[in-house]
Amino acid sequence: MLSRQDTVEIFSSFIQFDYDRFSTWAIDVRLRRSMKQSINKIPTESSENFWALYWHQIWEVQPKSLAREHLAAYLQESCFWSSTKTINGFASSQYTVSDCFQVAIARIDKVLKGFDRERGFNLKSYASITFANLIRELLRQKREIDICSDWSLLRKLSQKRLTEALADAGLDSEVIESHILAWNCLKTIYAPERASSTRKLPKPKPETWMAIAKLYNQERTTGLEKPGATATPENIEKWMLICVRAARSHLFPNVTSINQPKPGYDSGEIVDSIVGEVDESLLSDLIADEEIQQRTQQQSDINQFLKSTIEKLKPEEQKLLELYYSLQLKQADIAKELNTQQYTISRKLARARKSLLKALAKWSQETMHISLTSDVLDNISSLLEEWLAGYYGTDL
Amino acid sequence: MTTTNQTLFNPTQLVIELDQTTIDRAWKQSQPAGNSTSRWQKYLNQVTLNTFLPWLREEEDSTAKAGLEGANQSDLWSVVNGTSIELDGAKLVLIPTEVEDLSELRVPQEWIDIPELIADYYLAVQVSIDSGYIRVWGYTTHQQLKNKGNFSHGDRTYSLSDEELITDIDVLWVARELCPDEITQAAIAPIDNLADVQAENLIQRLGSQSQVMPRLAVPFTTWAGLIKNPDCRRRLGAARRQEGSKTPVLQWLKEGANRAISEFGWRQIEMSPSTSGARSATVTEPASNTVSEFGLAKKIMIANQPYELRVLPLEEAGSWRFELGCLTPGCVILPGVKLRLLTEDLEAFEGNEDLASEPVEQLFIELYLEAGESLVWQVEPTPDNYQQEVLQF
Repeated sequence: MLSRQDTVEIFSSFIQFDYDRFSTWAIDVRLRRSMKQSINKIPTESSENFWALYWHQIWEVQPKSLAREHLAAYLQESCFWSSTKTINGFASSQYTVSDCFQVAIARIDKVLKGFDRERGFNLKSYASITFANLIRELLRQKREIDICSDWSLLRKLSQKRLTEALADAGLDSEVIESHILAWNCLKTIYAPERASSTRKLPKPKPETWMAIAKLYNQERTTGLEKPGATATPENIEKWMLICVRAARSHLFPNVTSINQPKPGYDSGEIVDSIVGEVDESLLSDLIADEEIQQRTQQQSDINQFLKSTIEKLKPEEQKLLELYYSLQLKQADIAKELNTQQYTISRKLARARKSLLKALAKWSQETMHISLTSDVLDNISSLLEEWLAGYYGTDL
Repeated sequence: MTTTNQTLFNPTQLVIELDQTTIDRAWKQSQPAGNSTSRWQKYLNQVTLNTFLPWLREEEDSTAKAGLEGANQSDLWSVVNGTSIELDGAKLVLIPTEVEDLSELRVPQEWIDIPELIADYYLAVQVSIDSGYIRVWGYTTHQQLKNKGNFSHGDRTYSLSDEELITDIDVLWVARELCPDEITQAAIAPIDNLADVQAENLIQRLGSQSQVMPRLAVPFTTWAGLIKNPDCRRRLGAARRQEGSKTPVLQWLKEGANRAISEFGWRQIEMSPSTSGARSATVTEPASNTVSEFGLAKKIMIANQPYELRVLPLEEAGSWRFELGCLTPGCVILPGVKLRLLTEDLEAFEGNEDLASEPVEQLFIELYLEAGESLVWQVEPTPDNYQQEVLQF
C-alpha cells in the first residue's frame, strides 16, 4: 500500500479494497475542497498532526460536520495497519483484513471520543491501539457467537446491540419494540438449567413457548407504546428467529458507508453553503499559535517523564508492554516466550500499565496543577494509551 | 474446564479466571431457588462475588467485604440483579451478565433510586462460564447513571453505553488512592416504608410463582418500599422458594392436570396389575379420597442413561410405592445405585433408602403418608440436571 504524503490527500481520500487487498485511494471531492479552503485560511504551513488536532476540536463541537469524515480519511492507514497486525496475531481467521477494517472504521466515534481532548497529541497513535483492541474484541465475540446455538445467542446479546441489529435489518421502531419485549419475556421464562455448557441451549419446548406468549400478552398492554395484536407462541418463535438472524449478521457489516466516496459530487457542482461546512468563527479561535505551542511542550514533558518511568520497570514488564503496544503480539508466541499462562500475562501487563497510570496521574497533578477525578484520570489513561502506542509503534 | 487460550485481554480490563471449585460451589449455593431464572441470576452473582472479592482483598483493599450478608444478599438476587461490595470508604455494585457484547451497562433502578441500596461506583462484569472467566470491563458513578443514564421503563434500568463508561478499570483503583473524596452520588428522594399490612399483602401476591417478574408487577415506589427492608426481602424470598418447588402429587392424580404435570417433567401412567403394591405399610381406616388408577412417572438421566422414577399409589389409601427403573430394554440397575427419600427438611427416616447391592431390575420404597405430607426424592449417583423437588401428598 502506498502511503499518502500530501496533506490535502491525507484528509480527503479513502482506501478501496479489492477483496482482501489494498487496491487504490479514492478521493472524496467534497472533502478535498473543504481541506483546500481550510488550508488557504491559515497562512503558515502546518503539519498533518496540526490538522488532526484541529479537525478533532471541530468534531467535538460539531460532531456531524465534515470534520468527522476528514478524520476518517486521516485514520485510514492507522486502521489498515491495526487490522493487518491484529489478524496476523490469530492462528487462523476466517475474516479478512478488509472485514476487520470495515468494522473498525465504522466505530471511529469511539476513537474520537476516547482521545484526550485536553492533552492528547497524536491521534494516529491513539487510534492504532484503539482500533486493534476493538478488532480483537470483535473477533472474539464473533467466534463466541458462531459456536453458540440460536437460543444461547439470544442470552448473550445486550438490549442495545439487539435493538441496533433489528434496526439495521430494516424493522420499524414499533415492530422492534414488540420483538424486544418478546425477547425479554423469553429470557425471563427460559433460563439455563445447568451450571455450565451454556453455549448449546436447546430450543424451548412447546409448553415454554406457551408460557412466553402468555407473559408477552400480559405485558404488552403496559410495556409497549402500542399494545398491538395478541401474539401466539408461533409468532414469538418466529420473532426470535428474526432476532437471531439480525444479530448474527450485524456484527460484521458488508461495507461501511463512511468508506465510500459520496456519489454526485464528482461533477463539481458543489454549492458553497453545504450542510456540514465549518463555522467561520471557530476557525479563528482554534488556530491560536499559543495553544499549539503549549501542547507541543506538554507532549515533550510527558514523553520525558514516561520514558524515564518505564525504564524503571522490570525488563519482563517492559517486554510485555512492548509486545502489546507494538501490535506485534502473536498470542501463542507470547505465552510460549514467557512460559506462562494467558491470565498471568494479562495480569502482569495490567499491573505494569497501572503503575504507569498512577505515576502519570501523580505527575500531572503536581506539574499541571489539575485536580483529579475519575473523569480526569480517564483522560490521563487515554493519554497513556496514545503514548505507549506511539512509543512502541513500529510504523506510523 | 476449558479456557479459550486464544485472546490476550486488554490490560485496561480486569480478567479473573474461574476454577471448577468456585463454579460448583456457586451452583450449590444458588439452590434452593424458586425457578430456573432466579436460580440462574443467583448463580451468576454468586460466581461473581466468589471470584471478585478474594481478588479485591488481595490486590486492592484487604478490608473489602460483601455489602449484604449471605442470605440477605441471596434473597435480593432472586429478584434483582446486582452484587453489593463495601470497600474502605466506598460502596461498589457489580452488575454481572452473560452478555458478550460490551456495549452498555444496565443497572436496575433499585440500585439507583433507593437510598438504602445506592453505591458510589457501578461495575460492568461479563461472566463467561464456558470460557472460564469473569471480566470487569468498565465502570461509572451513581451520579453519571442518575443524571446522564438512559432510563428504560420496560425493564426499569438506567443504562449508559460503553462510550459513556470509563473502560479502564485501573482508573477506579487509582482514583480511590489519589482522589478518594470525589463526588460520586446524585441526590435522590427517600422512599417511604410500607405499612405492615400492605407489606404482607404484597408478599402474598408477589410470593406466588405465577408472578414471573415481581419487580415489575407493581409501581416502583411500592416495590422499593418493600425491597429496601431486609426482613421483607427475606419473607418474599422464602415465599417464592417454597411455592416453586412443591409438586402436588395427589392433586395431579385426581385432576389429571396434564399440562401442569409435563411442565415439571412428569407424566401420568396407567397402572397395570403388576405395579399395584403387594404389601401395605400400615393398616388404616379407608381414607375419604379414592385411590386412583394412575401413577406418575418422571424420566431422569444418570450419566446419559435413561431411567424412570415412578410414584404409584397402593391399594391402601395413603400408601405409596416409589420405584426407580431403567428404561432401555433388558437393562439393569447397577450395584451402588441408591434411591432415597427424605422429609421436606431433608431428614432421613427408617426405611427411606433402597440400595442395589447387586444388579436388579428396580429399586423401590413403600411407605404410608398422611395427607399434606411432603417428601424430597434423591438418587445416587446424582441424575443429570437434578433439581431438588418437593413432592406433596
